[in-house]
Amino acid sequence: MASKNSPDTINAGEHVFIKMPSDNVKCIILKRNTTVSLGKFGTFNANDIIGRAWGNTYEIYDTDSKTRVYQLDEINKIEETENNNREIVDDPSSQKLSLEEIKALKSEGLKGELTGEEIVNKIKESNASFDKKTAYSQAKYLQKKGKKFHKIFTPIKPSTYSVNEYFYIKNPAKIRDIRMDTLSQLLSYSNVHAGCKMLVVDDTQGMIVSAFAERMGGKGTILGLYDGDNPNYDVVKYMNFSQEILDTIKVLSWLRLHRAPDEKSPDELQDVTKLIDKDLEGYHRRIKAYNIVEESRKILLEGCFDALIIASQYQPESILEKLLPYVQGSRPVVVYHHAKEALLETNRWMRKSSDLLAPQLTESWLRKSQVLPGRTHPEMSTWGTGGCLLTATRVIDKPVQAGLTKRERLEVEKKNAEIKKLKRMREGAENVVATASTQLSTHTPPAVPSASASCTSTSDTAAVSVSSGEAETKITTTTTITTITTLKATVEESEMAITEVEIGEPQDGDERSTKRIKQE
Amino acid sequence: MSSSSTSVEKQNFVNYKENNTIEGGDPVVVFLSKENMSLIRVKKGEIFNCKFGSFKHVDMIGLQYGTKLGSNTGRGFLYLLYPTPELWTLVLPHRTQILYIADISFVMSFLNLKPGMSMIESGTGSGSFSHSIIRTLAPTGHLYTFEYHQERADAAKKEFEDHGLSDLVTLQCRDVCKDGFNMEDKVDAVFLDLPSPWEAVESAKKAFKQDKIGKICTFSPCIEQISRTVIALDEHGFADIQMYECLIRFNEIRVIPMWTIDEAMEKQRAIEKKRKRAKPRVLREQQDGTKSSSQQQDQEDDDESENNNNSKSKSAKVESSINESHQSSGTATPKSASGSDMEDVAEPRERIDPKSIAIAKLPAEQRGHTSYLMFATFTPVVHESSLTEAIACEAQGIQDSH
Repeated sequence: MASKNSPDTINAGEHVFIKMPSDNVKCIILKRNTTVSLGKFGTFNANDIIGRAWGNTYEIYDTDSKTRVYQLDEINKIEETENNNREIVDDPSSQKLSLEEIKALKSEGLKGELTGEEIVNKIKESNASFDKKTAYSQAKYLQKKGKKFHKIFTPIKPSTYSVNEYFYIKNPAKIRDIRMDTLSQLLSYSNVHAGCKMLVVDDTQGMIVSAFAERMGGKGTILGLYDGDNPNYDVVKYMNFSQEILDTIKVLSWLRLHRAPDEKSPDELQDVTKLIDKDLEGYHRRIKAYNIVEESRKILLEGCFDALIIASQYQPESILEKLLPYVQGSRPVVVYHHAKEALLETNRWMRKSSDLLAPQLTESWLRKSQVLPGRTHPEMSTWGTGGCLLTATRVIDKPVQAGLTKRERLEVEKKNAEIKKLKRMREGAENVVATASTQLSTHTPPAVPSASASCTSTSDTAAVSVSSGEAETKITTTTTITTITTLKATVEESEMAITEVEIGEPQDGDERSTKRIKQE
Repeated sequence: MSSSSTSVEKQNFVNYKENNTIEGGDPVVVFLSKENMSLIRVKKGEIFNCKFGSFKHVDMIGLQYGTKLGSNTGRGFLYLLYPTPELWTLVLPHRTQILYIADISFVMSFLNLKPGMSMIESGTGSGSFSHSIIRTLAPTGHLYTFEYHQERADAAKKEFEDHGLSDLVTLQCRDVCKDGFNMEDKVDAVFLDLPSPWEAVESAKKAFKQDKIGKICTFSPCIEQISRTVIALDEHGFADIQMYECLIRFNEIRVIPMWTIDEAMEKQRAIEKKRKRAKPRVLREQQDGTKSSSQQQDQEDDDESENNNNSKSKSAKVESSINESHQSSGTATPKSASGSDMEDVAEPRERIDPKSIAIAKLPAEQRGHTSYLMFATFTPVVHESSLTEAIACEAQGIQDSH
């Protein structure tokens, strides 16, 4: 049904955001043959905007709630005047109209007898201090009054941006405070595009799932894991998605991740042939639900996901542990949380994991400005946090050689620990050799300059050249020489050991884990 | 051979490869560290050299993207990553200033980019943003990108071809400020990253699909450019002009110890205690005056280890007496836990300190401004449809009756 609607026009039966002069946004489901009330800004007939293109602003202009496309005024350019605010005093009597008179104007406006502009003009004319105001102040005054009395509205098409903006202002907790800039970065980091396969744990009531579905345009698969009885993807319904796009969203309950040992299909539980009509209905319902679970589970177990995105109220590490094996190599893993602190431990976990590369914690900053000729400045109030993203890349920690058995791996680890020790010893030895050889070279100024020059380069050559220097000049600091020779041996030994063991690098049986998934 | 060539054709920077396996001719982003990445083409017989050693291309063939690969020497390793638009932004050869992920992401979302849309980008520059746009518009959308610098245009064109994007992008070498886009009724969105974007606004207006809503974004570092552009946008009837700045803050995460003041004082007390005991012995030795060379050596070694331990005591004897007092304080006072804490200072890596906390720290210096992002809406041209005509007639009637 929804798929027949053109995405370029305002359609009956779909969600529409209505932006009012006050900048408030109202969300409605547009129904044919109804009138939509915008409170003090009047009412309009739904039929007047159904079928029209998005993007225009409408004016309610007569007593019958008639609408027409509102021609936007050019931004009034401000010409500097001599006025300043020296003469302006805070005096409520400067407005000559009484409260009652203004109320009367308002109700005339509501009836359609006066346009918003006419009301604003009357109020302006009755303001004794208006002419004394600076040009900037006058413009601001008119803008302020216009927001109250203009009867214009703009239908806004639901999109990731407008839906997010709507909820972020109205009820940020609903979408776990994910602001547009953070969400847009999440979309970039997750490299979502038509045809990919996304694994999502979305507790933002479907904000992220919606954004993915829009960017995938009906191609690919989004698998959302949920807890509770039903997935709460409320935001999705505001997006006016076609059936084609809705079909890309699959869901699976955490409880059904793996087939329970006693899980049986409705066929196994009941003999269909023996069911009477009344029970048959329930049976079909159960079969349908069962098949949905089976299908989603199959999608999960096939693995090879192109991204793992987590915006959950639950501990991210515990989710990563369970879901990482289903993600392909070189694919993004993104964790969103509205609090930075919640991601610190996850970051630590990621650093330790050999399946994840280069975790990075980012926070976005966004500032909006008023932009008017001669009056451009950042807005007075801005947003606090828009949430944080922790991103990393799924990698495959594959051994360079053929796979090792568990025992071999333990051996390698043991050897590596020894190497660390040896390395430390070697460093110490090198230092001593270096100091000793510089000592030596000071004793032999003309004889072996080349030897002393090469001393600092590597420990091995240092040791060798030092001993040659010793042969020529016969220096009698025997204690130092013996130290050097023994140390030289240690260095060589440690070097050998290092190359020997590093060949077989420790690894994690990652390939095996992917294999395991496939077997399952 | 033919099968491999088709796979090369199919594979591009927009779609992941179906089997996710590296084959000859495939592009790979070689990851050494966040700061050290580069793009290579896998070719049998070639070798990638870096500070960790040599990596034979032939060893990469058959591996999954994302695999860790060890060097021939076994001294180091790197990761073989799939080239996404985000990675391309980090490895591409800079011909101009480029857009980074914060601006790229925000602009794409504000312009409502999605598969199937058509868009204008000017200038192409180094093609950083182009790749992200193409990824998002694919497989049915199209990017028209304009660059007035001939060499940059040629280089970008070659990159698009190399990355398998030719079908999704049209590049023209053209000065759009002087000559316009020469497009009509064609696109849903326009992005202007030009020195004087106001000169391209009129032509951009014509390029929009005239019966649809469209979005335009101008990207300018200076507020003076914004002032001029906002007038041009307004004169050409663009609505809902808004301006944003967007930055990303990268956090450094560290684990720092968090001692209580009591623990710290306990440690201080212990040190004081050791000093008191050690002093007379050191003095005694100084009075003795003579020291053998081996003793000297000992002392040097100890000095070194002490430096490693961040200990301030200078003498080997003092060090040993600290160990003694450690034990004594450990047995004498019930607060032996604080005594073991002090050993943690010496070997912080040996075990996780339960009193440590993870902190996120913003770097002292970071990017404070990229450009102002100004957005506006192209409003569809109003045709006198039957509905509007009816309304207009009625409106006329009402006015007449008045």
